[in-house]
Amino acid sequence: MPTQFEHTEYMYLRPTKKFPNVWCAGCGIGIVMGALIRAIDRIGLEKDDVALVSGIGCTGRMPVYMDFNTIHTTHGRALAFATGLKIAKPNMKVITIMGDGDAIAIGGNHFIHAARRNIGIAAIVVNNAIYGMTGGQYSPTTPIGAKAATAPYGNIEPPMPICEVAKAAGATYVARSTVYHAVELDRFIEQAIRKNGFSLVEAVGYCPTTYGKMNKLGTTVDMMRLLKENSVSVTAAEKLSPEEREKKIVRGVMHDVEKPEYTQLYEQLIQRVQHAQPANPDKP
Amino acid sequence: MSEPSLIEQPKSELKTTPKKGPRGQVTVFANWCKGCGICVAFCPTGVLALDDDDHPVVVYPEKCTACHWCDTHCPDLAIIVTKVEI
Amino acid sequence: MTVKLMQGNEAVGWGAIAAGCKFYAGYPITPSTEIAEMLSRELPKVGGKFIQMEDELASLAACIGASVGGLKSLTATSGPGFSLMQEHIGYAAMTEIPVVIVDVQRLGPSTGQPTSASQGDVMQARWGTHGDHPMIVLCPVSVSQSFDLTVKAFNYSEKYRTPVILLLDEVIGHMREKIELPEFESVERVERIATDVPPEWYKPYGDSLSDVPPMANFGEGYRYHITGLFHDVLGYPTTRLDEIDPWIQRVHRKIERNLNDITLVEEDLSESDKTVVVTYGASARSARHAVKLARQRRTKVGMVTLLTIWPFAEAEISRVARIAKRIIVPEMNLGQLALEVERVAGRNKVVRVNRANGEMVTPQMILEAIEDR
Repeated sequence: MPTQFEHTEYMYLRPTKKFPNVWCAGCGIGIVMGALIRAIDRIGLEKDDVALVSGIGCTGRMPVYMDFNTIHTTHGRALAFATGLKIAKPNMKVITIMGDGDAIAIGGNHFIHAARRNIGIAAIVVNNAIYGMTGGQYSPTTPIGAKAATAPYGNIEPPMPICEVAKAAGATYVARSTVYHAVELDRFIEQAIRKNGFSLVEAVGYCPTTYGKMNKLGTTVDMMRLLKENSVSVTAAEKLSPEEREKKIVRGVMHDVEKPEYTQLYEQLIQRVQHAQPANPDKP
Repeated sequence: MSEPSLIEQPKSELKTTPKKGPRGQVTVFANWCKGCGICVAFCPTGVLALDDDDHPVVVYPEKCTACHWCDTHCPDLAIIVTKVEI
Repeated sequence: MTVKLMQGNEAVGWGAIAAGCKFYAGYPITPSTEIAEMLSRELPKVGGKFIQMEDELASLAACIGASVGGLKSLTATSGPGFSLMQEHIGYAAMTEIPVVIVDVQRLGPSTGQPTSASQGDVMQARWGTHGDHPMIVLCPVSVSQSFDLTVKAFNYSEKYRTPVILLLDEVIGHMREKIELPEFESVERVERIATDVPPEWYKPYGDSLSDVPPMANFGEGYRYHITGLFHDVLGYPTTRLDEIDPWIQRVHRKIERNLNDITLVEEDLSESDKTVVVTYGASARSARHAVKLARQRRTKVGMVTLLTIWPFAEAEISRVARIAKRIIVPEMNLGQLALEVERVAGRNKVVRVNRANGEMVTPQMILEAIEDR
């Protein structure tokens, strides 16, 4: 650990963990990790008050590197574990870190219900449009026509619009950016963590090792350039036709409203119940 | 814990910068760097270049404007920029 | 002490409250739903939290998350939900997080008959999740025991940092019986061992003479990593054999070295009993009646009721096998615990009395086996 440099990111890495990190050269997940740390640092959170809950996959390997309360759970269920933890410790900031397959394929059910409950969890979904860890099978966000290990003739399934689904299900903050736009990303992550409710940040960054290679997208540098050129802001996207918009990655805050947060509602319920029942609760 | 080795630029070179504006000191931690080349490709003023092992080296330290593009985009946290007062 | 007429499921709920349970996450499923309904009503009164999750996988996940946050947690289900929970039972075993899972067995397989009883999940409770893992499984025989064994389940779970399964069946879960409820303050509660070292020295999976590492809760000053991957003493993922082998040995040893504490057995036998009935759960009720009838007819017969069905009571059953010539194992399945009895006592000594169609094994069926008709 280069601790002689008081550089923000290094202040939050685990001194006992081995580096360099486990991801491939140029993988966007490392960029998201830097953005997350900068966001947490700017808010000024105590490390003890932060919990990172991750699923399975390349993205799920993120929390172990950071000096917070970290738990690497099962495939797709990070939000369910996070729900229990948030209810037990409502004053902690609980952040879930999931890949696209983890969050909305196997985890789809927990995704929509966590959003519906508006429980105070910030969900960061790294969308690399593939199942990277297992060797590049297609995921619910793989574009139509793209090649993958289990779509050798091209994917025929339409991709799932993660942000729209979160908004429809009840999330109170929804934003999307890319790993090229790392500084915009850390701003969105900061807003998501500050939000008192269910917030979602989708970070797009295609996997260079599987998706990029199978679809001949070039080097990691080429793929970063692709993210820059192929993305538009929300305001610019409104001026495009639907066909043009479909081909672009739309970046920005999609949704930002206030609604009652789940753990606070339950706390009010407990107050109501205990107020109405002064008798000894131990006795049946 | 893996201790990084570093390639530091000598401070004296900064004083020869003719332009105004913020300046930065770039430090690369070679044993954390995986050689993806992103920092070199996107540095707006061309401070960095790839060496024979595909690792970045600081070639034009005086050109660094402390824009922090490289250290916010490095997936390995292997490069940092410290703002320098001239 | 209050005397009440209570349903088995409700007694499980009161047992949880008495044991200090402060979190329930579950999904309604017959015949366990009464546990959820009861706790949704009673937990807020004691400052506990109740949530109905979207499915059983989320339910057990939320319980594990809440346990990591410091709350004693419970979930209740039946066969189809129990099948869904297997992955997370394995996760809790791997990460050594205390949690209690209640399975009120219905007739299976599949949807089966939700309102009929069986003891068909015995092997699943032991081996349902993949990989080699220890498991503690308790099985009450009455409403009163449903309360007591729920408390025991929580205590074992905290003491040994392991998931504990409480296996009821639809008979015990839905029946109403007299229960003498103790004062909750007098109920013994075991808490997870807290650590007392400074945070920089804390090893979430190491440094314990008892094989059970002290457990720090999240958000209380100790920041560490939990993962379902094989991990070292700091919780970091590892592939090193010199870290994997000791973990495997320690996690099995923490149960195997404490069989005296964990194996709960009720014995009603003497050295001269040549026939012994070994039973558990609702079948024990029929067996008790059959043994009483047999003794009235001057047959010498003993009875062993297993309240802990896993780890299997090898020592006790070996002892029985030395006395008895015939061991009768009545079960509401096609012979699951009988496999264990046969393994320990020898197949030719064991007589199975089975019924797997939703009806109880009757005292008459057991009596016929005792009298060898």
